[in-house]
Amino acid sequence: MAIFKLVIRRSLMSVVTLLLVSLIIFSMLEILPGDVASRILGRDATPETLAQLRTELGLDRPAPVRYLDWLGGLVTGDLGKSLASSRPVSEILAPRIFNTVLLSAYAFLIYLPLTLVPAILQALYRDRAADHAFSVVTLVLLSVPDFLLATILLLTFVIVLPLLPAISLVDQTSSAWEYFRAMTLPALTLAIVMAVYAVRMLRDNLIEVLDSDYIRMAELKGLSRRRVLLRHALPNALVPTLNVTALNLAYLVGGVVVVEKVFSYPGFGSLLVDSLQLRDLPVVEATVMIAAFVYVAANLIADVAAILLNPRLRTG
Amino acid sequence: MSIETLSAPPARSTRSLSSLFVLWRQTPLSFRIGLIILLIHFVLAATGPFWAPYGYSQMGTGRPLSGMSWAHPFGVDQLGRDIFSRVVYGAHIVILLSLSGTLLGLVVGAVLGLLSGYVGGWFDEILQRFLEALISIPFLVLALIAIAAAGPELSGNPVLIVLVVALVYAPRIARMARSVAVDIATRDYVTVARLRGESAWSVMRRELLPNATSVLLVEFALRAGYAPVLIGSLGFLGFGLRPPTPEWGLMISENRALIMVTPITVLGPGLMLASLVVGLNLFTEGLARILGRTVKLGVQ
Repeated sequence: MAIFKLVIRRSLMSVVTLLLVSLIIFSMLEILPGDVASRILGRDATPETLAQLRTELGLDRPAPVRYLDWLGGLVTGDLGKSLASSRPVSEILAPRIFNTVLLSAYAFLIYLPLTLVPAILQALYRDRAADHAFSVVTLVLLSVPDFLLATILLLTFVIVLPLLPAISLVDQTSSAWEYFRAMTLPALTLAIVMAVYAVRMLRDNLIEVLDSDYIRMAELKGLSRRRVLLRHALPNALVPTLNVTALNLAYLVGGVVVVEKVFSYPGFGSLLVDSLQLRDLPVVEATVMIAAFVYVAANLIADVAAILLNPRLRTG
Repeated sequence: MSIETLSAPPARSTRSLSSLFVLWRQTPLSFRIGLIILLIHFVLAATGPFWAPYGYSQMGTGRPLSGMSWAHPFGVDQLGRDIFSRVVYGAHIVILLSLSGTLLGLVVGAVLGLLSGYVGGWFDEILQRFLEALISIPFLVLALIAIAAAGPELSGNPVLIVLVVALVYAPRIARMARSVAVDIATRDYVTVARLRGESAWSVMRRELLPNATSVLLVEFALRAGYAPVLIGSLGFLGFGLRPPTPEWGLMISENRALIMVTPITVLGPGLMLASLVVGLNLFTEGLARILGRTVKLGVQ
């Protein structure tokens, strides 16, 4: 039962973290810099319009009351109304989140082979020229910012080889093929960025496992090299890589902000940037909370998986 | 080995020069390549404004969008500005902002993390939860909302960018520093210092900090390596420095619309940004190896 307690404790910590995130976001955006109403209206503000907007937004109430009100809304799924379009925030968010989930799933599909194949080849041919050359390639890719990588891919696949569209605008009327074409470049960018971290990690883990006694044992038993690698080494090297995948999911939440913006893909990340520019606070707050939620959930899952996979804790 | 052979002072200048060379040969290759790339960037940043062929906002330096040529290695933008000059001018801006932001984050993070790990108790618990919450917001998103919160008067201000970089890094550095402090806090010499009646601040400064140096050094190099990307991303999204500042991310975003006509105006600043980060990453990896630590490059 100790393990059960550990999982519960870890989950409660995640809830506390999310509550603190909500407090931080709310105070940063609504309490710190003077007044929301004047920031929304900007230079055109007159005292009358300011007072009217304040009452409309409920800004005349004290901050703690507004915070609890907003938090209550978040928990019950009522995210408020957009200031820019006065539509419910959840109505604006739903299609954007759908698009981003689709994009992320596509990116993960590309990410898997992009991680496994180079890492396995590097581990097999370790310390040969090809291994070193590929380590240099991943180091350089690691240093290329995602917006630059996206721009280079755009240059390659849109301008030099005109295969894909430069702007990834899609909506509910788009066909599956249009979606596929629109998502390919943003997904490829995200997949490369994520794979670069994971390849470096998996290569080192694989090499460490390949040097261990039980692999030597399997080789001495006369198992084929392929079988040793795929059945004995890879599963053991994958466990630490799971952690990187959780980190990658966390990267993805931030990475979509830039990558979706580069390709004008109508997802959750470009919504955040657009609503920040419009100073549409309810939408900004909701998107940031969702981003933090995904991050916290990914880390929780990785930690719980680590607890469950740890045999020492399992028996305790 | 006798003490005399160790301390015998031969011709001093040649010895220190040759031992420096021996030391250099002993460092990892990645460290040497990284350091050379960084030196080139630093020299460029320090001297660039004095020899750049044109001013960073000087228009009419050549035919707009005329592409690569000897006079304009990185081409000319829509407004007739020489991209090469702009890139060279940008170097000191990018490097200064990255280093000062990271340094501020390091100081704040190290103090918070070491104190919190040493003091423990309620202070530690509350601070850890708070830092955990800050880390849970993706760093680019945190940077964007911090800039939005600062309001329109401050947007584009370099000081704001420095503060934002520090805000993003301080919690991550604090977490690292705390784990070092927790590890050291139970050692005998720390207990002795505490029993002597030293304050927490003095224990941190005199006992914890010297033992955390190598961790903090690697941490600084690692974070500094990503700072130019963070600043560039903010510039690219239109939340960083304002035009006509020749910040590389901002330049990439300005010239992106015309990438079909003159790709070099985007690739030039991109090359500078990527090579600076490659240099910093190689340097970090080598430094970590010299100090006997492992570092996971790129994992933020």
